[in-house]
Amino acid sequence: MSVTGMEKATKAKRVKKSRRRGGIFDPTSILGYCMMLPAMAVLLMFFAYPLGFEIWSSLTNMTLGNDAKFIGLENYRYLFSDPEFLTAAKNSFIYVTIVQMGKFVLGLGIAILLHQKMVARGFWRAVVLVPYAMPGFVAFLIWKLIYNPDIGSLNIILTKLGLIDAPISFLGDRDWAMPSVIFSTIWRGFPFWAIMFLAALQAVPKELYEAAAVDGANAWQRFKNISLPGIRPVVLVVFLISTINTINSFEAIWLTTAGGPSDATVILPIFAYKGLTTFQIGQSAAAALSLVPIAIIFTFFILRRMKKD
Amino acid sequence: MARTNVKFSIFKYTMLLLVAIFVLYPVYYMITLSFRNQGSLWSNPTLLPASDSTLENFKAAFASVEFRKSIYNSLVVCSSATILAIVFGVMAAYALTVLNFKGRDTMGRVIIIAFLTPGALLFIPFAVIMANLSLSNSLRGLVLVYLSFTVPLSTYLLLGFFKSLPPELEQAARIDGANRLQALWYVLVPLVAPGLISVAIITFTGAYNELLYSLVINVSPEVRTVPVAILNLSVADEVPWGRTMAYSSIAAIPIMAIYFLGQRFVVEGLQTGSVKG
Repeated sequence: MSVTGMEKATKAKRVKKSRRRGGIFDPTSILGYCMMLPAMAVLLMFFAYPLGFEIWSSLTNMTLGNDAKFIGLENYRYLFSDPEFLTAAKNSFIYVTIVQMGKFVLGLGIAILLHQKMVARGFWRAVVLVPYAMPGFVAFLIWKLIYNPDIGSLNIILTKLGLIDAPISFLGDRDWAMPSVIFSTIWRGFPFWAIMFLAALQAVPKELYEAAAVDGANAWQRFKNISLPGIRPVVLVVFLISTINTINSFEAIWLTTAGGPSDATVILPIFAYKGLTTFQIGQSAAAALSLVPIAIIFTFFILRRMKKD
Repeated sequence: MARTNVKFSIFKYTMLLLVAIFVLYPVYYMITLSFRNQGSLWSNPTLLPASDSTLENFKAAFASVEFRKSIYNSLVVCSSATILAIVFGVMAAYALTVLNFKGRDTMGRVIIIAFLTPGALLFIPFAVIMANLSLSNSLRGLVLVYLSFTVPLSTYLLLGFFKSLPPELEQAARIDGANRLQALWYVLVPLVAPGLISVAIITFTGAYNELLYSLVINVSPEVRTVPVAILNLSVADEVPWGRTMAYSSIAAIPIMAIYFLGQRFVVEGLQTGSVKG
């Protein structure tokens, strides 16, 4: 009797407490800070600190084993006059843009295909997921082999079909290297888009299509006026996440062409990695930091988008 | 009407078949090549499984102490990074969705910024910092570095799952006398259990597939992870393709199996993350 009474009293107290907001020493706030502590500590030590360290070292002439001397913006000035860096920046832009367009078209097309009535949709969806489920380092090694001029299957197939007379060195030829790495990157990355688009298409209420059909809208009009607006928010988020990942694609290129032939497929992460292997820490830090403006722009958009929801 | 439906069906299944070939061909190629020895690749280039197929490459892979060690290293590093990321992620996602405190929105924003930061941005400072702390060439060091992306990833995905729970649930549990931690452990965590599975799969495979950090930080043979060990099969530009494909099959097939067994969860996790997050 008295126990339930006490319980009620504490309950009332607790409910009252939880409504109170704002104070840093409020029990809820303290619990909140405790809960955030591990994640925030990780981010402080392994995100904020390395980032700060990188910014600082990009302003020095740091190399391995030597004391760093502050040299201001010298590294940046040097980079922007370095033709290889400019090529890397240009290649990054071309690579990311075409890869993303390819993933969008292929992803949307396959999502629409999977959205049709069919036998064993789950099976087909699983098939489409294969490239995404495969570890990237394995996928790109396989593609390097497929493109191989001596033993690769692509050349064998093209020769057997009579399309080419002499084998093409897909990764060793300046004109072929970029399209080839773009193609394999699309292969590996499109399933994420297809699966996301499919889910978004499935979430569009069926009644809308029925109503539109009653009103005499044809398939294209239904697609343009119902499907596309329905999946727009997903397209946006998928686009941002995937673009960041593509800017980051180190292994897609390192494992196939390693940036070659000469600098035909060097993108910024490859450029920075090569700088690190020659121990030019300050310079490569500046090169890696040139990814930041791009990342900031995308982060800004995704944050704004989320706020709207 | 019926005729166009038949035509459309034929078109549909033809397209599906083409997609399947496009997607599955590299997997088929990896597996057939893994049974070939290096010499016969040149003398007998074929698209079909060759008559001189051999188990030699797989025998070599399982006999290789270095490769077995690399599998062990990858499992230790990736499970540690995943388990820690999930524990920290559940705590943070819970605080960010259920609790109300000053600075909450800022902290949420920091998580998203970290999630969206390309890993290629930080490998240079990591290489220097880990060397200065004498943590390079150690599994512990790699786990710490991996936390830099597994924690934001798992928190971001879990935020989606926590947001999809009705807030009344937690309040109801507390009115029934549970304290905050009890409500979290007995009510919320079981409800996001499918989310935990999907986050575990996505985070673990993300760490397992990671190449750049482990290439930069763990170079000595006894701490190599699987991708680095496979790359080290090649000497200069000479790639032993048969062996590389056999090692790759061993590295890829279990991971792909996990993915497909947990397919429902993975797809749900990706959707929750990008749609609701």
